[in-house]
Amino acid sequence: MSSSSTVGRTVTLRRTETVRSPPRVRHVDELSEDALARFYDLVTSGGGSAVTDLTGFVDGEIIVFTDYYRVSLE
Amino acid sequence: MTEYVIIGDGISGSSAAETLREEDPDSEITVITDEGEPLYNRILIKEHAKGKLPEAPISIHDEAWYEDRDITLSLDTHVTTVDTDEKVVRIHDGSDVSYDKLLIATGGTPTQLPVPGSDAEGVLHFWTFQDARRIKEYAEEAEQAAIVGAGLLGIDFAAVCGAQGVEGNYLMRGDRWWRYALSSEGAEIMHQGMRDVGVEPVFDSGLDHFETDDDGQVTAAVDPNGERYPCDFAGVAIGLTFNTEFLHDVDLEMDNGIVVDQYMQTNLEDVYAAGDLTRFYDVLLGEHAQNGSWGSAKEQGRIAGTNMAADGETEGFEWVSSYSITHFDFPFLSFGHPTLGDDHAERKYSDTEWRRIAFKDGKIVGGVLIGDLAPQSKFKQLMREGRVVADQKEVLLAETVDLDDLAPAQEQ
Ligand SMILES: Cc1cc2nc3c(=O)[nH]c(=O)nc-3n(C[C@H](O)[C@H](O)[C@H](O)COP(=O)(O)OP(=O)(O)OC[C@H]3O[C@@H](n4cnc5c(N)ncnc54)[C@H](O)[C@@H]3O)c2cc1C
Repeated sequence: MSSSSTVGRTVTLRRTETVRSPPRVRHVDELSEDALARFYDLVTSGGGSAVTDLTGFVDGEIIVFTDYYRVSLE
Repeated sequence: MTEYVIIGDGISGSSAAETLREEDPDSEITVITDEGEPLYNRILIKEHAKGKLPEAPISIHDEAWYEDRDITLSLDTHVTTVDTDEKVVRIHDGSDVSYDKLLIATGGTPTQLPVPGSDAEGVLHFWTFQDARRIKEYAEEAEQAAIVGAGLLGIDFAAVCGAQGVEGNYLMRGDRWWRYALSSEGAEIMHQGMRDVGVEPVFDSGLDHFETDDDGQVTAAVDPNGERYPCDFAGVAIGLTFNTEFLHDVDLEMDNGIVVDQYMQTNLEDVYAAGDLTRFYDVLLGEHAQNGSWGSAKEQGRIAGTNMAADGETEGFEWVSSYSITHFDFPFLSFGHPTLGDDHAERKYSDTEWRRIAFKDGKIVGGVLIGDLAPQSKFKQLMREGRVVADQKEVLLAETVDLDDLAPAQEQ
C-alpha cells in the first residue's frame, strides 16, 4: 500500500486482484504527465511519500499498471 | 448553423465531438463509425483478452452520452467515399450526409501477413473489442500459440498467452524484439519478461506460411527456416494499414497517412484529420511525424475540434506521446519518437532496468525507459524546451537524473 498526505486528504493506492464493477478503470497511459509522475512516486515509495497533488485521480478508480491499483481519496 | 461530420468514433473522433459540442453549442454534429458499439477503451481491451477485466469498465460512452449532447451517432455505418466539392460523405447504403466541416479520424486496420494460410481460422489480429473477445475465447481453450510481429502490439499477444496459461512461441525476424528502438541489452530484459510468463522468443525466424486442418483451422506456423510451431491460434501484429481507402478519389495529400499541419488541417479546405492516421507537423521535432498512441490521438481530436469550431488556427498540437507496457513485473515506457534521431545514449542499470535516449540535432526527441520510469517527466520537459543536451549524456544517464546538473541552457 502506498499513500500520500495533503492538507486534510490522502491518496492511497492498494494493489487489487479483483475488478467487478468499479466506477472507472484507466490504463496508466491515460494519466496526464504530471499524474503519471505522482502515481509512479506513490507506487515506488511503497509508503508515505511527498506527493501532494490529487488532481487527475478519482476516488475508487482502478489504474492498470504492472499491477492493478485501486485509488482512494480519504 | 454549422454541420460537422466526424468519420470514426475512436478516441480521436470522440474527443473532437466532445470539444465541438463545448465550443459550438448550436451546431449539428454527426459521428459515423463502422463498429457496432460506441467509443470504448481500446488500450484496455488487452486486459479483457487476458481474462483480467470484464467488459463493462472498458466501455467509455453509451448511446445516451451522444443523445445527451445532441450528437447524432451512426453505428455500423461504413463511409465509402467523400466528395469534397459537393461536401458530402457517402455511406455504404447509398445515402449521403452533408457537411460544412469534416474530420477524418478512421485510424488503421492490422496488416495481414501476405503468406499462405494467413486467412485461416484462428489467425487473429488485435484492434477492436470484437477482436479481443475472440482472442479471449481462443486463449481460454488453447494450449499453444504462435505470435508474429516484434513490436508494441505483438507483445500484447504474448501477455495474453502468459495470463491465460498458453504456451507461446514468439517468432521474430531479427535478433530481438522492437529492434528499431532497443539494443540487444534492452531487448533482453523484455525477452526475459516474455520467458517469465511462458512465452519463448524465437529469433531470426518470422513466418513463411501457416498450416491448417481440413476445417481451415490453423494448426501450425512454419518459419522461413522450415521450423514448425504447432499452435491452436496465431496472433499476428505486423503493423497497421491506415483506413484511407475510401478517400481514393479525394485529392488529399498523403504520405503513409494523411498529412496535416499542427492545427490538424489537411491540404483541403474544411477537411481535418486526427489520430493514428495523421502525419502531422510536429512542432517539437521540426518535421512531420506520426504517433500511434491513445493520449496523442485524444489530444489531436481535441485540437481538431477546437480549430474546426473556431474556423481558424486557434491552437496547435504540441505533445510528447508515451506508450507503456505493463504486462511484466517491471514497467516499460516509450516516449516521443524513440526510433528517430541522429544520436543516442543508453545504459543498463540492472537485470530489469535500462534506458535509451534518442537525440536529433543535440535535442532529445524520444526514448525508452525500462524498469525505472522516474526520469520520464524530466526528459519530456527537455523535449518541450528544445534544449541541446546531447553533449551531457552522463547527466541524462545518471541513475537519478537531476536537471540542475546540466550546464546552463545556451541561447539557441
Ligand atoms: C491492442 C491494442 C493495444 C494498445 N495499447 C496501447 C497502449 O498501451 N498505450 C497507448 O497509448 N496506445 C495503445 N494502443 C494504440 C491506441 O489504441 C491508438 O493509438 C488509438 O486508439 C487510436 O485512436 P484513433 O481514434 O486514431 O483510431 P481508432 O481507435 O482506430 O478509431 C478509428 C475508428 O474509425 C472507424 N472507421 C474506419 N474506417 C471507417 C469508415 N470508412 N467508415 C466508418 N468508420 C470507419 C474504425 O472502425 C474505428 O472505430 C493500442 C492499440 C491496440 C489495438
